[in-house]
Amino acid sequence: MTEVFWFSEQPYGHVTDDDIDGYESGRMHFPNTMFDPIKAHQLYSNYHDQYVMADQVGFDGIMTNEHHSSYWCMKPSVNIDAACIAKVTKNVKIAMLGNVIAIQDPVKMAEEIAMLDCISGGRIISGFVRGTAVETLHSGISPTENRARFEEAHDLIIKCWTTPGPFRWEGRYWPHRMVNPWVVPIQRDPHPQVWFPGTGSPESVIWAAERQYPYMNLGSLLDLTKQLKDIYFETANKVGYQPGPEHFGYLMKVFCADTEERAQEIGRKYLWTEKHRNRGPAEFNDPPGYQSREALKIKMSRPVIGTGTMGKSMTYEELQNAYNIVVGTPETVIEKLRHIKRELDPGYVLIYGNEGNMAHEDVMRSIELIGTKVIPAVKNF
Amino acid sequence: MAATTVSTKEIKLLDTTVEYYVGGTGSTSLVFLHGAGGNSGWQSYHDQLAQLYTVYVPSQAGFNGTERPDWVYTITDMAHFNLQLISALNLQNYILMGSSMGGWIASEMASMDDSKIKSLILIDAAGIRPETGEIAEIFMCSAQTRLKQRFYDPEQVENYQNYKRDLTPEEIFTEHSNREMASRLCWKPYLHNWSLPFYLKKISIPTLIIWGDNDAIIPVECGTLFQKSIAGSKLEIIKNCGHSPAIEKPVEFMTAVNNFLANS
Repeated sequence: MTEVFWFSEQPYGHVTDDDIDGYESGRMHFPNTMFDPIKAHQLYSNYHDQYVMADQVGFDGIMTNEHHSSYWCMKPSVNIDAACIAKVTKNVKIAMLGNVIAIQDPVKMAEEIAMLDCISGGRIISGFVRGTAVETLHSGISPTENRARFEEAHDLIIKCWTTPGPFRWEGRYWPHRMVNPWVVPIQRDPHPQVWFPGTGSPESVIWAAERQYPYMNLGSLLDLTKQLKDIYFETANKVGYQPGPEHFGYLMKVFCADTEERAQEIGRKYLWTEKHRNRGPAEFNDPPGYQSREALKIKMSRPVIGTGTMGKSMTYEELQNAYNIVVGTPETVIEKLRHIKRELDPGYVLIYGNEGNMAHEDVMRSIELIGTKVIPAVKNF
Repeated sequence: MAATTVSTKEIKLLDTTVEYYVGGTGSTSLVFLHGAGGNSGWQSYHDQLAQLYTVYVPSQAGFNGTERPDWVYTITDMAHFNLQLISALNLQNYILMGSSMGGWIASEMASMDDSKIKSLILIDAAGIRPETGEIAEIFMCSAQTRLKQRFYDPEQVENYQNYKRDLTPEEIFTEHSNREMASRLCWKPYLHNWSLPFYLKKISIPTLIIWGDNDAIIPVECGTLFQKSIAGSKLEIIKNCGHSPAIEKPVEFMTAVNNFLANS
């Protein structure tokens, strides 16, 4: 099986390197006075048109996400975007990857996701994420609490979906004496599917595998991704189930155009955030306590193998050679995806399909080419 | 002045092991509580104090690589922990001194029970929310920014280069763990306890509050607020000094401490 999902971070593409260069970091320090809501209105409209196109040309699903204080992702609420997808599309699955549950009220999350499942007619895949550290810092919550809050929020949301109310929840972070959400999900066997994403942390892979939650790798390089997939499969075997492609997905940057030259030229825009996305003091990207001391020891004891491409700077050509960015005509893209299928065998191919200030018409054409030419080929790999 | 013989000791307490330095032979004990940066070891001001007192410098639970007891989430928890540590060490009629976060812990301890404390010394203490200024950001900023905030004038700091050197992997791990523990205790509300000014009204022992007039982390205004809350307390402001008077103005610091202890 292979299912293909469309994904856009919904970038605020009007930002240039020159705009950000003078600030201490690309996120928390980059002032929101650079944001123009009128321009954002047009961009949101374009992004929704792209969702409609993806639904019409044969994508199996649309993936969406959430970030805070980020110029490259104008989605502070994945649930609001999922509501838009639910209303503008008819067929696609809606993969939310996901709700940053450590910083939200879990009962409200359970209610909202259930509402989305009802609105969409049972098309929701509910991803849960710890978020980047900035999400936690932006919410005012201590990074040291993220993991424990994540785990409690997860358990409470699942309980909301599987245990008839009212019930009592004596949690550390969200104690409730009365939980009874009226709206529950359509998908009740036993609840909407949960996905879990990651970039480089083995802890996350093990957490997902222990719960049989499909693990989505968000664009790490192939060798690291293979290692992480192996960890998932080993954990699954220990837990006692047979893992397959349906437990594993891979996100990559893919862009199609009618000619190689055009694709190469537009694809260069994937480097838009390279200089600034993770720039800033470590206190923003990996503050003390965001990882456990055990994880820190492991990290310090091993050579840098990178998360995504963090840790080493790569050129456009190198990123293409590493299959991190895949651009070209449909024929070129099909061959590259065939290689990835052979190497990783992902059940879910997640296509990060636009970036920065790529022109709306170019992105629409790319979606059309992927949908009409690439996806049929991928289905026959 | 003769250098003191210092021992490193351990005591098991409440699911963790507390490590502490102890030096001096004075009949009166003095307990020093370190700040959010962790226990930097036996310092020259400890040594000077040890000429007159038996000085204890414990690593706070969870700092300096020690295990955090599961139940310690707040400075109030930490104060309870330290009162039990004092009992375990069997200290009576001791002097309690704390710097920055350690001053906050010391002030909560004295608020809970000052019957065994002879006198209290708070140095640029965290714990009270300023009314006009702000407590500087120490977590969401780089190491360079933190260092810049700490001292008023680096030229007044002996061995300043030592604060700028590259750390060994072990030191990096310890430093990271210390900041993790400080984040856990002090993130929210940020480096203060709304109720502390009211707790402090229970303190009835002689109290000295020392502050650098140019503290760029915790504004000197907080020193005044501590003084207002602790009846009979004395505020000593050290001129041309930042957040760490014992290091940046050692002579003035020791004079203030000795004068206070001689008269209390």
